[in-house]
Formats: sequence, structure tokens, C-alpha cells
Amino acid sequence: MSDDHRLKALFAYDEPPQRDPAFSSAVMAEVMRRRFLADVAVLSGVSALGGTALWALWPSLQPALVAISQGLAPAIVAGALVVCAGMIISGRHAGELLGLET
Amino acid sequence: MSPASLDEALVAAAQAGSTDAFSRLVERHQQALRAFLRRACGDWAQADDLAQETFLAAWSRIDRLKAGASVRAWLCGIGYNKHLTALRSGSRERVREASYEADRDPTRCAAPEDRLALEAAMGELPAEQRACVALCLAADFSHTEAAEALNLPLGTVKSHVTRGRSRLLQALGGPDER
Repeated sequence: MSDDHRLKALFAYDEPPQRDPAFSSAVMAEVMRRRFLADVAVLSGVSALGGTALWALWPSLQPALVAISQGLAPAIVAGALVVCAGMIISGRHAGELLGLET
Repeated sequence: MSPASLDEALVAAAQAGSTDAFSRLVERHQQALRAFLRRACGDWAQADDLAQETFLAAWSRIDRLKAGASVRAWLCGIGYNKHLTALRSGSRERVREASYEADRDPTRCAAPEDRLALEAAMGELPAEQRACVALCLAADFSHTEAAEALNLPLGTVKSHVTRGRSRLLQALGGPDER
């Protein structure tokens, strides 16, 4: 056996298994945990930004929203009546009727 | 698909945000990285901690890995820097024998005295030389690949490997080629 082969054979003792699900799972669990925390941080930031913007714009938005809602009220009532009638006639609930559920 | 092109495809998918692709990269390279760190720091438990930190750092820096670069060398480079940081900080001081001896299986070793002599000789090598030996003599890295991984000049790697090999063989009672 050559010197290099001898060294390599002795070094082989330190070799971890080729597949180690426990190690890989531990790494990926930590990766997913960090990714989740990063997502939560981003969503929290966006929500805070949106809330602040809404708070700042509310005085100018409110009259427009009131006007729109008054204008749309008859259409919304008519739509609700159609959906209720459909549910009663077909015997299915609203989600199925609107195609939101199968 | 060759291992290199499979790595390249997995890296591209991981760079696009696929954790499944990164998980496969972890499975494919954990053995090489952990083996290198075990030889570089001599403490199996610490090596596995460093390997885990290395993969986490790799995930956050995966977009910096250039297409076609060796994933194995890149990971070993990150792991080596983490090992050097741990050495400098001294925060990972552990009772080496306790963890190392607990993990080993003496029945696996045909010549335990040779193993102990090799381990002692590796422990006496300077960190840089030890890393070069661990990559080139134990893990079949080319000198160029090791130089890239450890961020060292090619000539320095060659010189470290030659000197390290000579010291290890001397410790094992073989020829001293200095």
C-alpha cells in the first residue's frame, strides 16, 4: 500500500455517512424556521405600512367611500337576493353557487 | 446528468427560492463538508455544528454563487472561514476528547495506534496546513480547487500539502520526505 493510500485509508475513519437524514432534516428545519421569520417580518412591515397609509389617507378617502357605497347599495342588495334565491332553489350553499368550492 | 450539471441545476433552482433543491444540495454535500470540518477542527460535534451553520450561511448567500462554480469547494470555503472565526473567538472551547471519543467506534479502525498517531499529528499542524491536507490528501480536492476554497495562493497550498504529508508520514513511522 502506498503512503497516500495509507493516509487516505486512515482519513476514511472520519468520514460521515453518505446519507444522514437526521443532519439534513435539522439543517432544513432551521432553514425553514429562518424563512418563516423573514416572511413574518416582511408581512408585518407591509401591514404596518398599509395601516399607516390608510390612517393618513382616511380623511380624504372616507367621503369617497361613503359616496360609492351609497351608489352601490341597490346593486349589492339585488345581488344578495339573487344568491339567496339560487341557494334556496338549487339547495347548494353560497360557496358552491359562486364557484368558490367544488 | 453528471454530478456537476445536477449541482448547477439545483443551485439555479435554489437561487429561484426552491427549498427542495437546497435540501438536495444539503444531502449531496453534507458528507464532504462534515468530513472536511472534522479533519480541520478535530472535534466531531463542533464540526457538525459548523457544518449546519455553513449550510445556513450558504442558503442566505446562494445568489452569490456563480454558475458553474464548484458547490463543494464553495461550501468548504464558507466552513473553513467559520472554523477560523471559531478558533479566533475561542467561544467554542470544548473538552475535545469527550466529544471526539464519544463519537468514535474503535472497532471500525484496523490500526487504532495509527489513527491516534495521525490524529495527534494533524492536531499539531497549523490550521491552514491542516485544512490543505484535509482537502487534498483526504478528500481528493485538486490543489487548484483547494486554493479556491481556502482563498489561498496555489503555491501556498502545494507547499502546505507537501509539508503536511511529510509530517503525517513521519508521525506514522513512514519515510520523511523533507
